[in-house]
Amino acid sequence: MVTSIIRRLIQAVFVVVAMTVIVFIGVNVIGNPVDILINPDANQAERARVIAHYGLDQPLWRQYLLFLQGLLHGDFGNSFVYGRPAMGLILERLPATLELAISALAIALVFGLPLGLYAGLYPNRVSSKLIMSGSILGFSLPTFWVGLMLIMVFSVELGWLPTNGRGPTLELFGVRWSFLTGEGLRHLLLPAFNLALFKTSLILRLTRAGVQEVLPQDYVKFARAKGLRERRVIAVHVLKNLMIPVVTIIGLEFGSLIAFSVVTESIFAWPGMGKLIIDSINLLDRPVIVAYLMMMVLLFVVLNFIIDVCYTILDPRVRLDSKA
Amino acid sequence: MTAKILTRAAVALLGTIAIPALAAAQETPLTIGMSTTPTTIDPHEDSSAPNNATSRHIWDSLINLTGTSANDPELATEWKAIDATHWEFKLREGVKFHDGSAFDADDVVASLLRARDKPSQGFASYTRNIANVTAKDPLTVVVETKVPDPLILNSVSRIRIISADCKDAPVQDFDNGKCAIGTGAYSFVSYTPGGELTMKRNEDYFAGASHWSNVTLRFLPDDGARLASLLSNEIDIIEALPADGMARVEASDSLQVVNGQSSRLVYLGMDVSRDASPFVKAADGSNLDENPLKDIRVRRAMLMSINRPAIVDRVMQKNGTVADQFVAEGYAGHSDAVESVAYDPAAAKALLAEADYPDGFSLTLHGPSGRYVKDAEVLQAVGQMFTRIGVQSKVEVMPWAMYSEAYAQGEYSTYLGSWGVNTGETTNPTVALVATRDEAKGTGRYNGGGVSDPKIDEVLARASSTLDEAERAPLLEELSKQTFDNLWILPMHYENVVLGARKTVAYTPRGDKYTLAYEVKPAN
Repeated sequence: MVTSIIRRLIQAVFVVVAMTVIVFIGVNVIGNPVDILINPDANQAERARVIAHYGLDQPLWRQYLLFLQGLLHGDFGNSFVYGRPAMGLILERLPATLELAISALAIALVFGLPLGLYAGLYPNRVSSKLIMSGSILGFSLPTFWVGLMLIMVFSVELGWLPTNGRGPTLELFGVRWSFLTGEGLRHLLLPAFNLALFKTSLILRLTRAGVQEVLPQDYVKFARAKGLRERRVIAVHVLKNLMIPVVTIIGLEFGSLIAFSVVTESIFAWPGMGKLIIDSINLLDRPVIVAYLMMMVLLFVVLNFIIDVCYTILDPRVRLDSKA
Repeated sequence: MTAKILTRAAVALLGTIAIPALAAAQETPLTIGMSTTPTTIDPHEDSSAPNNATSRHIWDSLINLTGTSANDPELATEWKAIDATHWEFKLREGVKFHDGSAFDADDVVASLLRARDKPSQGFASYTRNIANVTAKDPLTVVVETKVPDPLILNSVSRIRIISADCKDAPVQDFDNGKCAIGTGAYSFVSYTPGGELTMKRNEDYFAGASHWSNVTLRFLPDDGARLASLLSNEIDIIEALPADGMARVEASDSLQVVNGQSSRLVYLGMDVSRDASPFVKAADGSNLDENPLKDIRVRRAMLMSINRPAIVDRVMQKNGTVADQFVAEGYAGHSDAVESVAYDPAAAKALLAEADYPDGFSLTLHGPSGRYVKDAEVLQAVGQMFTRIGVQSKVEVMPWAMYSEAYAQGEYSTYLGSWGVNTGETTNPTVALVATRDEAKGTGRYNGGGVSDPKIDEVLARASSTLDEAERAPLLEELSKQTFDNLWILPMHYENVVLGARKTVAYTPRGDKYTLAYEVKPAN
């Protein structure tokens, strides 16, 4: 277990370093941030001063070394655009994104698992076929279109839910959350549902496929032959065995919910990280891009690790330490 | 619901006893949907339009820049030039910051110097001529300029006056509200970066308290989100009403389209300096001996071939007004002598033949995508119109991040550019777009066509150092005339300011496109 953690951490460090190099070179290739940041009225001398202030007058390799030096002191640098520490900016927006991602995942699980189970157990019922066709819509309709339709129907036409924004927030553990107020929950509903739609379909189909794969297995037949009640057969023997692929997907998809919820965040003006990173890429705000991607690499490494731990709980045959 | 009824009952009850209590209970909230997002609340960090429009709600300047770029008294009640490089400002008496502290000359000195010395240099173009600022007495400030600067009043109008106590505060302290204390019409309540800024009315505002008790600026760069907020009545007024939503808003009983002209000029830049321009070829694709764009007749023919009224009307869906020069009528430097070039493809063809290009030539037009109103579509239309008179045109658009440096450096032969005339007069666009490129003097930074016209440079130098308005006016007009008689750049259109609003509010759009809550009035 411990060696596995250490090995993963070392891998993570390598990925992070490689990623920072790529971002440094990438941003440099796209264009010069100064041309976007600086007031067009500025003259050449003022431009030079700004370039020097951001350290962009140095050769790229030196900028990179300076960045690494700052990193060792826990300093990701100041955002070019916002003039504030890049990491602080990202952490400030993290709760909004987390809240949205967790809600979406919860919705996806609450709907996806039982429906998938049902469709797998009774594949020939009309209702199962309806569920399966519905799930095709769920992942073929583009998120932005569904989002706009949700707004049109529930906000503009019916006027039940607010169109966008986070609504009032309450502070808990020094962080502001929307889900603690009724109004905030109303704001959360549409974007969370929009984000959950694709994931629901995914989990649903995965669960159904898993059920159909597990049901004909000998141990299920044996459990039934032993005279176990159907509920126990499904809850323990079937569900536990089909959970491994589902957990993998949940873990990875949770990461992508956090990292790539930008479409939903834009449509619903949800002040999360996704919007921040897209703005930063458009403005070539390198410190924010680097800090964000570093965090995402770490997030995925941690998620993968948690998934692996879940495997060992679900399937005793998987032992982390036994892997070569 | 119950709460609402209770409040109403309470209000009714109180109203019979105490009038002031009733007034306090009347809430008149206003929510504005902004199309761009400010990067910070710190008014001196960055001088972009969203930042300046936002800071304008909380802070005042010495001079109030009106929607048509006139200088009105604000924190300064009067000003005069003592000599060529010294300006004296008399400050308004009895003004208080939101925290109750008194406003005086020290705050002005601290603010102007802070804006000048900030490492981000966001305000450099306004502060570059400020040599020193001193407080003569608590209500008199003297600004010393390095050279005679006729634009100093405009520059000063850009800089918000913060409390001297906050002069060393970092950006964070403004964003979290600690230093977001001004003298303006609204005081800071809360700010979510990329989300919204909420403010409440400053009851003691020197120019009279605003009609709106609570003002919220929502930052909604997504067109769909902004429009939906308006349609669902969550927001009172939105900036940059998307063209797709125009019909819906017009058809609605409760909403209206608010239209006005901005001071942002969109133009076509041309390579008029190189003998072999990289993206100009002969009609058959071979290299040309000379650069046709250097010939005024070719440039005129090209402008004649563009049906600008149709572009403004159809492509931009009325979000623009045809332009003939830097600034529209009513702004300083608008010249009546500049002739308007009308759409006439037949005459354009004849003029091309006269210039020795009867078969035309081929050209690549470059432009940004998503930067100006319908920029890519406008350029496509122009390309087709050029092709019709024999100038076979290919269009290439790219993201602003890639485009911005390349066009300023003159990498293209023909390019779509734009300039927001910040100062409301013509030296500002002249310095950037058509003055000879000179790093030392700081001129011609965006002169991507390599224009070098000694007459423009000479008139510009005189206009930039003449303080007397009467003497300066003809020079400003001369700049327009010289630039557009020679068609150094082809004027396309001014972008319009198009807002969507509920019929309960009235608003006159500003040339700089800012949407200021204080200038939004209740209808009737």
